[in-house]
Amino acid sequence: MTGRNRLRSLLTIAYWNGVLPMKRMPLFLLNTIASPLSFLFFIVVVSHGALLLYGVAGGIVLTMLSIGTSVQTDLSHYKSDLKLHDLVVASPVEAPIYVAGLALSEFLFAIPGISLFIVIWALSGNPISLSSALLVVLALILVWAFASALGFTLATYFEDIRETFVFSPLLSLALTVLPPIYYPASFLPSWLRPFAYLSPATYAVDLVHQAMGLTNFNGIPEPYLLPAWADILALVAFAAAFFVIAAKKARWREP
Amino acid sequence: MDAVNTHGLGRTYDSGKDGTRALDGVSLKIPAGSVYGLIGRNGAGKTTFLRIIGTQLMPTDGSAEVLGFDVVREPRPIRERIAVIPQESRPLYFLTVEELVDLHLRQRGMARAEAKERTRKVLADLDLTRLSHKIVNRLSGGMRRRAMVAMVLASDAEFLLLDEPTTGLDPLARREVWAAIRQASRDHRTVLLTTHYLDEAEALSHRLALLDNGKLIVEGTPNEIRARVRWPFRVTVPLTIPEEELRSYGEVSAFAGGHLVFTREAQARSLTELALKRNLPVSMAPVSLEDVFLQLVGRPLDEATPTEEAES
Repeated sequence: MTGRNRLRSLLTIAYWNGVLPMKRMPLFLLNTIASPLSFLFFIVVVSHGALLLYGVAGGIVLTMLSIGTSVQTDLSHYKSDLKLHDLVVASPVEAPIYVAGLALSEFLFAIPGISLFIVIWALSGNPISLSSALLVVLALILVWAFASALGFTLATYFEDIRETFVFSPLLSLALTVLPPIYYPASFLPSWLRPFAYLSPATYAVDLVHQAMGLTNFNGIPEPYLLPAWADILALVAFAAAFFVIAAKKARWREP
Repeated sequence: MDAVNTHGLGRTYDSGKDGTRALDGVSLKIPAGSVYGLIGRNGAGKTTFLRIIGTQLMPTDGSAEVLGFDVVREPRPIRERIAVIPQESRPLYFLTVEELVDLHLRQRGMARAEAKERTRKVLADLDLTRLSHKIVNRLSGGMRRRAMVAMVLASDAEFLLLDEPTTGLDPLARREVWAAIRQASRDHRTVLLTTHYLDEAEALSHRLALLDNGKLIVEGTPNEIRARVRWPFRVTVPLTIPEEELRSYGEVSAFAGGHLVFTREAQARSLTELALKRNLPVSMAPVSLEDVFLQLVGRPLDEATPTEEAES
């Protein structure tokens, strides 16, 4: 395949897995934003509005993290239910193109949800500067990259779609419970913070909090876990690690 | 030139003491441009062989070259040149038939205009044009299978691997798929076909291989394979001729309407003359592939093998 053909292949996959389902089954879109919006509602009600921006930050990060689960579910569905994995393997489509195409389609699914959260951010009266917007975009791209690679690797190991149903929620819990996604980092007991570093979501949400200027909560200065550059470095390292794992361990061809 | 050349090709699932030997030392050559049929019971090793050739499954023994490339070391150039219909595969349910074929071609890297033209042609060839704007989910199982066949036939691949492509199709639809496969062969494309339908294998294949329990039992043209069996002719006579008398001609088996005698050509002729002299209905013909299968394997084709679970 030439570079042009690869691009055509990637965009075609994103079209049939993203654009067409969105057009034909718009309820899919609702599904992608339902959970983050529910969490936001819950947090705003419980905090009497004080944690609105933390909820927005959490919604943005969670929407992107859910791409990994979606890639994993889609791949497992195409592999075990439709038996289409074999069809793709025995074709000019290379594994990175297939995964990138599916991941791009999931990104398209995430855009309406993320746009909604950004609108809420803008309407909350907090300024959005160019630098903070760029920082958020960078965080989201890195989350997208590692979540997609992780989802792909796991999906190649599953023999049946039901394994995905069991494993995906566990993965989501591992990635999202400990990191301070929906609350200030100061809420996290200090002895638990080292464990939060194990999840890449921690660095993503830390970066988004900094971009959104969430510098204190109720007058208490916010203890950012790391400086922005270190968060970026950590996310790049996680993404690179998951890509290496995907390249080495994913079972594109049955061993 | 050979499209496929295998030497002692083998595959054991769950390697170890209790491993299931799904393919056992298969050596064969598939001439380029031919239609090659793989026949055998469920679990005989057909799909395992096809998946190794299609670079979807690693072999555990032996070697295989496809279009001159090694399946283990050089999968990429093979994948550029092949297209596959996996067994029991189903199309994406929310696409129309036209989108299914067109997007499959573009996913393979084909330019939009060429994909459109190839899609139009294959849908016409397989009598699917009237359904081109129908959502796949609203089609019958047979029509969906036909749409999958269309995806593969429309591709520019020089080697097509079809794993039971006509399962679930009605007789008319099967004939249309056959015609498309023959056209692919006329276009100098190689087709590797697995099937349960022996009439299909015989009607389409230039050469055939019969697998059983992962082993290659016999390989050749349909006529060569018939010539390999002990009894290449079959004579059907009424039950009024006693079985003891028939045994001197060959192997006898009874069925509801008469006796079936597997025999050699000279004996078949003399038995036919005997029946005609007695004014009895008689028919004589070369053995069918079904008969050959029974003679070579000792069991009918529709009986499953112990490795069926592993293969599926």
